[in-house]
Amino acid sequence: MSEAHDHEHGHDHEPGRTHDAPLSEVELRVKALESLLVEKGLVSTDAVDAIIELYERDVGPKNGARVVARAWTDPAYRERLLADGTRAIAELGFGGAEADNLVAVANTAAVHNVVVCTLCSCYPWPVLGLPPTWYKSLPYRARMVAEPRAVLREFGLELPDEVQVRVWDSSAEVRYLVVPMRPAGTDGLTEDALAALVTRDCMIGTAVPLPPRPAA
Amino acid sequence: MSAADGAPGLADLDAALAGDAPLPRDNGELVFEEPWQGRALGMGVVALARTGASWAEFRRHLVAAIRRRPHDPGESAATAYYAAWLDALEALLAERGLHAPRRRS
Repeated sequence: MSEAHDHEHGHDHEPGRTHDAPLSEVELRVKALESLLVEKGLVSTDAVDAIIELYERDVGPKNGARVVARAWTDPAYRERLLADGTRAIAELGFGGAEADNLVAVANTAAVHNVVVCTLCSCYPWPVLGLPPTWYKSLPYRARMVAEPRAVLREFGLELPDEVQVRVWDSSAEVRYLVVPMRPAGTDGLTEDALAALVTRDCMIGTAVPLPPRPAA
Repeated sequence: MSAADGAPGLADLDAALAGDAPLPRDNGELVFEEPWQGRALGMGVVALARTGASWAEFRRHLVAAIRRRPHDPGESAATAYYAAWLDALEALLAERGLHAPRRRS
């Protein structure tokens, strides 16, 4: 895994940005093609921008949330998920190289799980999408192992003393998905409504799902 | 409301391009080394949706373009991939009479 991720570049998609250097041949080619497509009414610059933004946000966390919601509503699925994460997410149509060995770890009243990658930023993106910036930061990676409770508190997650915190170190070989506890007061909810409660951070373990807010 | 409504998700794209022509990634993240690469991707997705061309059709062009492109050791994987992507997009549009490629001498 590469250690130094440079995330400064590559995120500047403004078509009208000013270039310090003259446009390269390939940049001119892209510009010409885009102008042609706009002229033919096949493409709008806004639509292209929207696609890039969509893919950068990815759809990953929704995949993971569906997995968790299924586990909450279907005890047999939950068992299969905890026994073999990769096979269980494949049942829902998810998978890929970065989830070839996916281990699902379930939170209980006694144990809270949280995931880190101390070496770099290994992450089960087929279920969670692109990792958040903090996941890749050195302080998170170092401190989550040394003082998980303090780091979780900074995320706004205060765990009772009797709850044991288990930190899972992701690697290129094994990646983890936290299955949070189903919040109280969600008995009547559909699987879709439950999935909406499961955020990315819940599945990394730096947050827990909250019950739905009562309609105002 | 969003212009991205109805666009294929990244997972659909991955499925369509798996095997011979996967999108360049680094630890799961799409790699765009320069903005033009993201624009090339975005244009392809939008243009395909508007022309009604299938991803299978685009994939055929893309795989052919990747094979055709001479390997330049000084070129990064993402640069090579998105250059081939442009070849494929132009070829697909040309096939539909929407793009007349100017021949370079």
